[in-house]
Amino acid sequence: MRVLVGRGSCGEAAGAHALQKLLQQKLLEEGCDIAVETAGCIGACFLEPIISVQDGDAFRDYVRVDNTAVEEIARMLCGKPNKASDYLMNCEDAQLLKKHPRIALRNCGRINPEAIQDYIAAGGYSDFTQKDILAEIKSSGLAGRGGAGFSTWFKWNAVRNSQGANKTVIVNADEGDPGAFMDRAILEGDPHSIIEGMLICAYAVGANEGIIYVRAEYPLAIARLKTAVKQAEEGGYIGKNCLPDFSFYVRIKEGAGAFVCGEETALIASLEGERGMPRLKPPFPAEKGYFGNPSNINNVETFANVPWIMQNGGAAFSAIGTQTSKGSKVFALTGKIKKGGLVEIPMGLTLRECIFDMGGGILGGKRFKAVQLGGPSGGCIPESLLDTVIDYKALSETGAIMGSGGMVVMDETTCMVNMARFFLDFTAKESCGKCTHCRIGTKRMLEILQRITDGGGREGDIEQLEELAACIKDGALCGLGQTAPNPVLTALRYFKDEFISHIRDKKCLAKECRALLTYIIDTEKCTGCTLCAKKCGAGAISGQLKNAHSIDNQKCTKCGVCARVCKFGAVKAE
Amino acid sequence: MSDSIKFFINGQEFFGKQGQTVLQAAAANGIEIPFLCYDARVKPCGACGVCVVESEGSAKLLRACSTPLTEGQKIKTDTPRVQAARNSALALLLSNHTGDCTAPCRNACPAHTDCQGYVGLIANGEYQAAAALIKEKLPFPASIGRICPHPCETECRRKLADAPVNIAALKAFTAQFAAECPPPTKPSTGKRVSVIGGGPAGLTAAYYLRLYGHDVTVYEAMPKMGGMLRYGVPQYRLPKDILDAEIAHIQRTGVQFINNAAVGGSITLQQLRDNSDAVITAIGAWKGMRLNCAGEHLQNVFSGIEFLRDVFAYQKAIKGKRVVVIGGGDTAMDACRTAVRLGAGEVSVVYRRTLAEMPANKIEIQEAIEEGVIFKCLVHPVEMLGDKAVTHIRLQKMELGEPDASGRRAPVPVSGAHEVVEADAVIIMIGQTVDVTGFQDVTLTNKKTIAADQHTFATNLQAVFAVGDATNKGAGIAIEAIGEAARCAQVVDNYLATASLKPLQKEYRVTDTKTAEDFAFIPKQSRITAPITPLKARRNNFKEVNKLLSAAQAQKEAARCLECGCADFFECKLIRYANRYGIAPEKYSGAMQSHGLDVSSPYMYRDMNKCVLCGLCVRICEAMGSGVLGFINRGFDTVVSPELNRPLNKTNCTACGQCADACPTGAIGERVPLKKCVPLHTQATQSVCGGCATGCGVKVHSYGRLHIKNTPLSGGMLCREGRFGFIKQLKQPRVTAPLIRTDNKLIKSTLPQAAKFVLERLNQITNQYGNNAVGVCVSAQNSNQEIAEILKFAKNVWQTQNIFTFDACLNQPAEADFAAPPVVRVRARLNSRGLLDAGVPVYAATHGGIKALLMLGSIPSGAKIPNVEFLTVVDAFITPVAKKADCVLPTAAFYEKAGSFTDINGTVQQSAAPFTPLTAPTLKDILLALSK
Repeated sequence: MRVLVGRGSCGEAAGAHALQKLLQQKLLEEGCDIAVETAGCIGACFLEPIISVQDGDAFRDYVRVDNTAVEEIARMLCGKPNKASDYLMNCEDAQLLKKHPRIALRNCGRINPEAIQDYIAAGGYSDFTQKDILAEIKSSGLAGRGGAGFSTWFKWNAVRNSQGANKTVIVNADEGDPGAFMDRAILEGDPHSIIEGMLICAYAVGANEGIIYVRAEYPLAIARLKTAVKQAEEGGYIGKNCLPDFSFYVRIKEGAGAFVCGEETALIASLEGERGMPRLKPPFPAEKGYFGNPSNINNVETFANVPWIMQNGGAAFSAIGTQTSKGSKVFALTGKIKKGGLVEIPMGLTLRECIFDMGGGILGGKRFKAVQLGGPSGGCIPESLLDTVIDYKALSETGAIMGSGGMVVMDETTCMVNMARFFLDFTAKESCGKCTHCRIGTKRMLEILQRITDGGGREGDIEQLEELAACIKDGALCGLGQTAPNPVLTALRYFKDEFISHIRDKKCLAKECRALLTYIIDTEKCTGCTLCAKKCGAGAISGQLKNAHSIDNQKCTKCGVCARVCKFGAVKAE
Repeated sequence: MSDSIKFFINGQEFFGKQGQTVLQAAAANGIEIPFLCYDARVKPCGACGVCVVESEGSAKLLRACSTPLTEGQKIKTDTPRVQAARNSALALLLSNHTGDCTAPCRNACPAHTDCQGYVGLIANGEYQAAAALIKEKLPFPASIGRICPHPCETECRRKLADAPVNIAALKAFTAQFAAECPPPTKPSTGKRVSVIGGGPAGLTAAYYLRLYGHDVTVYEAMPKMGGMLRYGVPQYRLPKDILDAEIAHIQRTGVQFINNAAVGGSITLQQLRDNSDAVITAIGAWKGMRLNCAGEHLQNVFSGIEFLRDVFAYQKAIKGKRVVVIGGGDTAMDACRTAVRLGAGEVSVVYRRTLAEMPANKIEIQEAIEEGVIFKCLVHPVEMLGDKAVTHIRLQKMELGEPDASGRRAPVPVSGAHEVVEADAVIIMIGQTVDVTGFQDVTLTNKKTIAADQHTFATNLQAVFAVGDATNKGAGIAIEAIGEAARCAQVVDNYLATASLKPLQKEYRVTDTKTAEDFAFIPKQSRITAPITPLKARRNNFKEVNKLLSAAQAQKEAARCLECGCADFFECKLIRYANRYGIAPEKYSGAMQSHGLDVSSPYMYRDMNKCVLCGLCVRICEAMGSGVLGFINRGFDTVVSPELNRPLNKTNCTACGQCADACPTGAIGERVPLKKCVPLHTQATQSVCGGCATGCGVKVHSYGRLHIKNTPLSGGMLCREGRFGFIKQLKQPRVTAPLIRTDNKLIKSTLPQAAKFVLERLNQITNQYGNNAVGVCVSAQNSNQEIAEILKFAKNVWQTQNIFTFDACLNQPAEADFAAPPVVRVRARLNSRGLLDAGVPVYAATHGGIKALLMLGSIPSGAKIPNVEFLTVVDAFITPVAKKADCVLPTAAFYEKAGSFTDINGTVQQSAAPFTPLTAPTLKDILLALSK
């Protein structure tokens, strides 16, 4: 029997560290010699903290664990009477965990990421040298999981065929999309899978150097990666002559947190010590990458799939998924969703299945409005397209993209104009500033969106946004700029009426844009309790005790305090 | 050709080379693809997005600067998609580009005269160049300088600091230095143009069309040319001889003048149309407007226009009489002040608003008041009274009501309030209309003026154009008519060449807005005005009232200019493209970057408000091995800056100025070594850097005698010495005349005298000590041709063995800063290799027994010359050695000589002379004079 405490960033945030200590202490007190080990996240972040008990191949997951639960679990582990089963994950959630095969997340939450033997026991670092790596990767149909979905085999093959010494394998662990945390979970939960993925790639393309470019905002991931690299070196899995006539050295480079460094050429510039700014392609990194040497860059999730493919064969991977998109994909479900966390689903599921079955639907009984895919480069998909299958081609036809796996779910209280503004604000700030269209164009689009949400929308704004968007898509230098208008364009495509009501009627249908709201008091409902008037910081509410109050809209700052404090639902925003 | 690649641009077939980019291959075939961030000296970066092209088979737009050329590639450079991307890039850049392309004064001038340019040239003492610059836009600087109401000064930013620069007076001042000869006309086109009307507009059109090479004839109804300048402006404001001189200048270009020829009189419009390829109508507005009140027919009620046309014909009716002038414009002022000068007993001006609303120039009103003119305001004449001749005027009293269309408060009659004043003569000067007799075929506006297209000046008649007071809105100021005429000349020139009407679009300019706060740091300095003839000396005659500024006053006044216009205007790619592609950035207006100026370096300024972030400065700084500049911040706030945002002089900047050279806009520029930094359209001459024996090629940018800057040849690099080394020389005092040492002082002399002095001593010495007692020292500053001449002179004339130089041909880096490739500065001076190749030995102890030394050119610093009895130095500058000499003879400075120089690698480089020598005698003259 093993005890694992889910200590990914989500578990840590929920207090897992203290619970682990407490459990260990309780077990000691009870005289029970069971080590309480660390694990990553199993994906059900909404149920954190989670303590898993492994019995043979079976796991029992105790969820939303608190101090009392820890005591019960300790008693259970020591064979004493307990109520631990009160905390067991319910059947529905437990079934969801097992519903689809897990490839990238296969070990997350189920092994100790800081113990290489766990990884080995799970089948890691098995011999692959006898296999035709490129053929397996090719037959697997694996595509880059970073967002663009470019064939992994094609890249590897190009690097292998590229003339030049000092080839490099680079892991892009600069996950930066708002609402995306798939890579972080893998790095925290199963770092060896990345190192092994790199090793396989390096062996296939003839590279002796491996670099993991990971953002410094992932301290836990960095710490676990460091441990893993050290253990792999000590175990002889990487390093000098780690394979017959083959050496492979891995190092970690912490990125300073520029979103654009997730773009491969900017990432290489950053690795070289330059300012992280994209470079012109061609030459592609496969030809001339890191310091001019052939380089292969894949993201974390892509590498995590590689050892599984080598162990199970490319055909097993390509058996999952659709005609054009193979394997499974990890998504981070966030936003107004009931079961926020990570899900790994086979390609070909519909968005509806992903959001409503795996994610449990919308929080608080509200209506689904849209789901945002692909972060600042992606777009939002409306309810009418929820039956779109998750497949690179099908998703891009909606105007959104598969992206790296961020799925931000929005309900009826989300203003789509403001959402478009939010994503554009992100790209405008994260633009490296190099090319004209991205630097100034996104700023100009943002200014228009800001004006619209501030109530200053003008006729012609939509056309101007569309024109600017077209110019930016055509004129920007790198992927960041070329895709920056996508959130705005999809919002315009599916929610144009919201833009029009902002511009013409100065109304925000979702009641999110503060400048467009008018607070009024329903005199029928108002009891004259005076609470709103007391709380109003602007002194905008007047009225006598036990008489209906009213709001002076000249003074009102639209902070919404009155609506929040009113116990009778008398204050409404329109 | 195996390395030849066939490709297509817009369907046309071209050949390029393997390894070229699309941009390079297109350029090599003479097809210009615009770009801002490309420079052959550094790696392409693709930032600007201006060079985008479509390539068949590629879904994305490609950046031509970095796309390798491929066989059979089909490039399109002007599809709607390319235009949209390129134009949006330019518009976005312009939407975040602050500054003033050209100064507000220049923008305000209806003729677009380069006010900042000529004011700046005057400040630098370049009067003739200033006059020539004015004449590029306006052929009457002396006349217009005297009479123009100067819209330029109204917009002059100096008014925010204290008072506007006296631009008009500076123009009048510098006009006296205008070249006698007009600029050369272009080769004859054989086209004939008839200009109707010899006023400022007609003569201007005639002048420029003649310069363009057309045969031009001006038909003038009056006995002399000049139009309103002659027949409308009084002599005391514009003396006729001044006008005559400017008209004569126009005539010297070969324009034919025919006087006393009025259309509708001796000639018809149809005749002129039949005889010429184009007709320009510039007939002015010569009919005085009438009051349309009772009694206007009475004797001694005159039209102001007619009065001014023939002043002395009215003397009898005016002298000693009570004269009333009706109107408040400039011409009314001319009329009342003329009446004063004709000896009127009392002159009053009747005006329906108040003095504050009066449209006449304030200074004119003030001078009229000084001269005793009485201003009766808020009255309007309603009736002239008298039997035969006028004796009284009935005036309706007025008050000011609501503002009217002109923005001024409208005069409203005060019901029942009248006044009757005595008047022996009345001059009505309330406006002018056009006399269109003879132009019945021409379409008129509802104002009864000739209807002319605003952009082409075309009338309804084929090949008939119209400009000036006679057109559209009617009478205006002279400079407006001149501006129209000059632009019309361009349209007509193009029409004559292509038979098509190409409208002249208003050029786009980036403009800034400034407030008094922006100029709070400027020390106050009062505006210098020209002296005015005292009241007593001017009241009774027609002598010119305003004098000219003195040269000292003019320079001081010109120095008040705030230099608003961008120093890089003539080289800015951004504004060139903006106008070429008709960019309208207004639709993208939004937040703009705002940065302080960095003027910490003595050589360069940085104004990041103009930066387009092409990154060329960053990349070229890196290529020079300095790496001083880099990008900071992200997104819209990205800016190029030295490390830690330090000023340039607190960095490792070596002042090679490559960044300023590469900058496509005025964001980084050279600090020009002039008293007043004036943006000028410079001339570039290819030359060699005189800084060291590396002998880098340079382009010397000059404007007349002004040495503006040195830049590297296309694709080349220069170090600080190459870029800015010439400034040291500009500051060094020149030898302007032969100098002879008398009483231990160097005294100016003439070449024959100096030669006599030198020859006497040299002969003495050779007689006493033999020929070898004369040493001849040749400097590396001499060209190969000069070295040959000097050697011939030394060997043949003085037959001395002691010929040597102090310039050893050493290849040692001189300064560590520049020792790194791509630019290496060496210790040896430029032509030291030329001396070596010519067999001139370096001075050594073996060169003994020298009693007299002839030094031709300067010696390198640190060299020690032997002690001699008699030292003659031939040099351009007063060097320390020259100061010790017994005789100093002037010669040309480095950039004043053409010739060849041999660089340290033995390559012979030709250098043209960007400047003519300052001094008259050439080296040849001097050597001849020093021959026995």
